[in-house]
Amino acid sequence: MKLIAGVDIGNSTTEVAIADIEKELNFLSSSIVRTTGIKGTVENVVGVYNALKEACSNIKVDISQLHAICINEATPVIGDVAMETITQTVITESTMIGHNPDTPGGLGLGIGRTIFIDEIDYVSSTEEVICVIPKSVDFETAARRLNLAFKKGIKVQGAIVQGDDGVLISNRLERKIPIVDEVTHIDRIPMGMVSAVEVAAPGETIKVLSNPYGLATIFNLTPEETKHIIPISRALIGNRSAVVIRTPEGEVKERVIPAGKIILYGTGEKRVAIEEGSEKIIKALKEVWPLKDASGEPGTNVGGMMERVRQVMSELTGQSQGDIKIQDILPVDTFVPQRVQGGLAGEFALENAVALAAMVKTNKLPMENIAAKLQKETGVKVIIGGVEANMAVLGALTTPGTAKPLVILDLGGGSTDSAYINRDGAVKSIHHAGAGEMVTMLINSELGLEDYNLAEEIKKYPMARVESLFNIRYEDGTVCFFQQPLPSNLFARNVVVKGEEMIPIPTRHSLEKIKTIRREAKRKVFITNVIRALEDVAPFNNIRGIEFVVLVGGSALDFEIPEMISDELSRYGIVCGRGNIRGALGPRNAVATGLVISYYNSLRSSKNE
Amino acid sequence: MINTLSNDELIEMIAQEVLKQLNAKGGNEIPQREKSCENKTCSGTTSGKMELLNKGEAAVGKRSDEVVVAIGPAFGISQTKTIIDIPHDEVLREVLAGIEEEGISARVIRVLHTSDVAFISHTAAKLSGSGIGIGIQSKGTTVIHQKDLEPLNNLELFPQAPLIDLETYRAIGKNAAKYAKGESPDPVPVRNDQMARPRYQAKAAVLHIKETEHVVPNAKPVEIQVVFK
Repeated sequence: MKLIAGVDIGNSTTEVAIADIEKELNFLSSSIVRTTGIKGTVENVVGVYNALKEACSNIKVDISQLHAICINEATPVIGDVAMETITQTVITESTMIGHNPDTPGGLGLGIGRTIFIDEIDYVSSTEEVICVIPKSVDFETAARRLNLAFKKGIKVQGAIVQGDDGVLISNRLERKIPIVDEVTHIDRIPMGMVSAVEVAAPGETIKVLSNPYGLATIFNLTPEETKHIIPISRALIGNRSAVVIRTPEGEVKERVIPAGKIILYGTGEKRVAIEEGSEKIIKALKEVWPLKDASGEPGTNVGGMMERVRQVMSELTGQSQGDIKIQDILPVDTFVPQRVQGGLAGEFALENAVALAAMVKTNKLPMENIAAKLQKETGVKVIIGGVEANMAVLGALTTPGTAKPLVILDLGGGSTDSAYINRDGAVKSIHHAGAGEMVTMLINSELGLEDYNLAEEIKKYPMARVESLFNIRYEDGTVCFFQQPLPSNLFARNVVVKGEEMIPIPTRHSLEKIKTIRREAKRKVFITNVIRALEDVAPFNNIRGIEFVVLVGGSALDFEIPEMISDELSRYGIVCGRGNIRGALGPRNAVATGLVISYYNSLRSSKNE
Repeated sequence: MINTLSNDELIEMIAQEVLKQLNAKGGNEIPQREKSCENKTCSGTTSGKMELLNKGEAAVGKRSDEVVVAIGPAFGISQTKTIIDIPHDEVLREVLAGIEEEGISARVIRVLHTSDVAFISHTAAKLSGSGIGIGIQSKGTTVIHQKDLEPLNNLELFPQAPLIDLETYRAIGKNAAKYAKGESPDPVPVRNDQMARPRYQAKAAVLHIKETEHVVPNAKPVEIQVVFK
């Protein structure tokens, strides 16, 4: 027995493959553990040792019985992500209450002058009014007063209520009028101004106030003024209820926050403003490709963001900040729920934001140190062998049904790595910024979770809705029943189903919405990157020149990403799927397997000579 | 342990409560209640602005858009306010308003066989067409329950009666109605005050003992019609 171990130290996992190469290549065992410390530092040795021990115990040998350990020349690629909000909705002079209380009262559209409830008795019966009711007035009192006003012939057309009393008041009124409730800052509503209140039937959305011409009709606007109220009507689209008040100066603005310019250095120099969105940045990136370095305008948000990335990287690698070169960026358009400035009811608006993933290549990771320490601890000869990409290709080729030429896509946590091997065995590889971690960040911010771990679970596992304490319905519609009641904290919640465990998702978003956001985040990052990667490594940069694509790495284990990529690439006539290393291990262990194969090949070729 | 009450004050408070209770026994409130329950007549009790009319044995609800609110044996009869003197009529009004605001109908029952809020609320949940029930003890402790849960489990528990104000009672009604609609509401924020325990422990014990005295073993829950004046 001549046992050889291949060890792959990745960003998040350390993998080992052990083979007996006495007569021929015969794989015996493999293992996978979490990487200890940051990839490329001596802290990794602990993880490597544990992985070796696990793999050895599988075949009941001791580590010292190994003939040699091959570790890979890890590609010094580290990714980081950041995000910048680029728009802001500002309401001036309390023009609009576009918020969506769960339970508005009544139905229809009411137009009139705003008036405080205490003054309702002094209104002339010719005037149409909208009644403003603060929290201090009890719902029964409010309803009684409004009924009295109806009797006196006062034309109360609608009501704006501070407390959550809309339905309660409406149920006690003799006439149905639209009532919008839960308006927190009711004191800021200007009195005596023309206003409109609209409430739609359950399951419907407002039609008049979300239409610019509807607003123009109500407030007698000129064509010029109608142009200016477009942000108001836009902000109200999709709401079940809304209030619009016309004040002389009031308006709703969507302000673009100047977030600074990103400066790209490549074949030339390009400056793009972040607020122009991801499409423009990608276009500029293509023009200067290959990227040598990138930075942000000093003193701006994006400048700070790029410096942060650089600083993190230099701390990890122990190099000075000046030596850190950003080799790739991936911008993605996203949105963040943010409180509207000047809003009366604590409304939220979805503001545009740009998420940036940056990737840094350092000159070299100190693999020699790791090798020396490992050799000392195990007493086994340690060999640093092979470029990571080449090893991954060798490993991926053990997937049944594959042949050269072939592309492998290593979908990791921090970066997407790709390599192309042609018929003659020459390998071309490239790394791109943006992978699993960026998806998690997008899910976290778009759902407004502020819980990175939960976002990670949402990314990884399918969801379900707990319909009763005895059954759940998965996102695809299948139902699962239980004999024992589920814990009460799961009742009526959306949950992430992680094997036996269920984790409640504490948001009011529907299951469908969360699913859409999750899939969109994966699509935005991985599909974009896969196309970018294939264009770069394909012969003559033509995607159609590729026949086989094998997906490996942690994100290839995802329950939907491989299908998404396969679906996208089928349009180019490419065979694409999750790798199955050695026909047994799935998309894991490619590099470790490749290391052993490479060592075996080198031995055999030297013997033949 | 910091105690805002001295021992003397505590003893005096307990003595006062006991005296009040003795006086109450001298009155005719309890016999009236007992009569009404045993004869299952439609006689009722008045408490503040609210009248509670007994409508006979409570049945299992068939409507899935209802939430059952169960009150303790002494609620609105021998006790008319919570531990922090919120009148019972206002408590019930806010809970019912919270349910109504969500477009769900409410049904009120009185549980007589226990004064334990877990079992009061579980009884409500079992009788509720939606499977969601609220239980309110006379001293104010409240639980939102679901019929399939174990009695000592719950959906939401508000254990510190001295910290529940009318706004919270409204929110409790609202959340129960949301559960009945199959929504996933955020739990009502529960306030916590370490001092509430030492300050109110004696009073809470007395109120609970007083309520327990009104327990009628094996009595069936009674349907209550609430009339606000």
